[in-house]
Amino acid sequence: MESMPLEVLDLVKNYPRRLGLSSFTAVSELSLSMEEGQILGFLGPNGAGKTTTIKCILGLLKPSAGSIRLYGSPPAAPRTRRRLGFVPENPDYEDSFTPLEFLTMFARMRGLEDSRPDMVSLLERVGLSGWESTRIKSFSKGMRQRLSLALALQSVPDLIVMDEPTGGLDPLARKEFRDIILEENQRGASIFLSSHLLSEVEAVCHRAVILSRGRVVREGRMEDLLRTESTYSVTWTPAGGGEKVTETVPAAELQERLDDIRDRDGLIREVGPRSLTLEEVFLSATNSGGGGA
Amino acid sequence: MRAIWTFALMTMRSLLRRRTIWGIVLVIILALLGIGQVPSFDVSGQSRFIIEFGLFGLEMGALLLAIGLASNIYPRDRENRTIQPLLAVPLSRIRYLLGRFLGAAIVSGAAMLVGCLGLMLVLTLNGFAVPAALLPATLLLLVEGWFLLSVVFFFSFWTSPPLNAPLTVMIFILSQMSVREFVGLVPGASWLMRTLRLLLPHMDVFHIKDPIAHGVDVPPVYFLLAALYGIAYSVFMLSVALAVFRERDLR
Repeated sequence: MESMPLEVLDLVKNYPRRLGLSSFTAVSELSLSMEEGQILGFLGPNGAGKTTTIKCILGLLKPSAGSIRLYGSPPAAPRTRRRLGFVPENPDYEDSFTPLEFLTMFARMRGLEDSRPDMVSLLERVGLSGWESTRIKSFSKGMRQRLSLALALQSVPDLIVMDEPTGGLDPLARKEFRDIILEENQRGASIFLSSHLLSEVEAVCHRAVILSRGRVVREGRMEDLLRTESTYSVTWTPAGGGEKVTETVPAAELQERLDDIRDRDGLIREVGPRSLTLEEVFLSATNSGGGGA
Repeated sequence: MRAIWTFALMTMRSLLRRRTIWGIVLVIILALLGIGQVPSFDVSGQSRFIIEFGLFGLEMGALLLAIGLASNIYPRDRENRTIQPLLAVPLSRIRYLLGRFLGAAIVSGAAMLVGCLGLMLVLTLNGFAVPAALLPATLLLLVEGWFLLSVVFFFSFWTSPPLNAPLTVMIFILSQMSVREFVGLVPGASWLMRTLRLLLPHMDVFHIKDPIAHGVDVPPVYFLLAALYGIAYSVFMLSVALAVFRERDLR
């Protein structure tokens, strides 16, 4: 059986401070895993430890404790790297190169064919058509993001790690990125998506992990996270007709409220667990700093 | 190997598109032209003067090239975050270091050869014969330059570029010292100083301007052994640099 694309177990990352006399814990006993073909949303406020975790996953930082496995192997293993694509946050590439030069060199370094038509069509796919031979110096932030997406997709990776890939992009570019994420997922790629844009995560992710102060404070399948049984939505019509009323009732008070409506001859039309927005889940998880992890 | 070579080519292109290399080459050429204009008392004296000062200029050029080319490579890669996608996916840290070193070493070599050709031109324009050992002598200075390049890479992994330059110059000066001079810096710890001296090459091995200027033949085996000596020290210094780099967190 093939190993999971990503398994993180009890990851701890401490940064030394004051000449190593003390340390700051950026990530504390973080465990997570993702299944093949899944899009995992990785959320958290600024300073929660998202980028630190990603850098540990990619082997850019050495974990202080814990283990990380990509397809069952350590992140540094060459056969793991071949299956990986990475879209960094705010990439700023060597200015004097053109996208085509970059793609050619990355292809050669990865041992891939450096076919020009393939690279031109890849650049077209990420929205850089016509810019193939323009120096990156003149590129906007969004165009650099598109180039980093092209570099990540070049090797047709099995796992794509994205760190805030759409930060600072306009809505149209965000939509294009989202479409590419979904296309790649349909192809079979697993995607680890760190983002501040909750609507984006809600729209594309199968699962989400919410991080706060270096710890996982909530995780689960998207529909489970958004559906909570702690509150219910009750829709009813008052006796003698009138406008439909919809109200949110805490689970503990539900029976009492339903009895109350019936006592007043109200007609109960619908009762069900209330669906939350990801923003509500995020705020509740990160404000409480703990909860149902 | 293909990855290292591709990355070296990428490094070369990047260095050649910066102004630093062209500035250093211009300084070397102007210095050589200046040497050719200095009058001397007699014809043989002027020839010696051009060869000695020309090779000295090339040695300084090797030092300048090492600092100018390499001190900013790694800090720049970190600052503009180019290093993240490179090390996350296609390159291991050893390949990154070797690719960057190889690229800078080739550019440095090309600049030194331009300097050597300039020196030959100055000698020819002044009506002097070009000594056969001038090119091998330049190649030895190039090997010295590669060692300095490896020193610059070593320092670049744990210091800032402004600190890298004085530290490299310090290593350059210490490597010119004999064991006796080196031990004389801290006479109370002679055993320690002798051991420390082993960590640095004797740079005078690479300086053969005096024999060439005075027309003394240098056996070819000397060039070979001196080059191997320099390359061995460069490999040693790159290994130390890699050990430091492997422990670095790329925050």
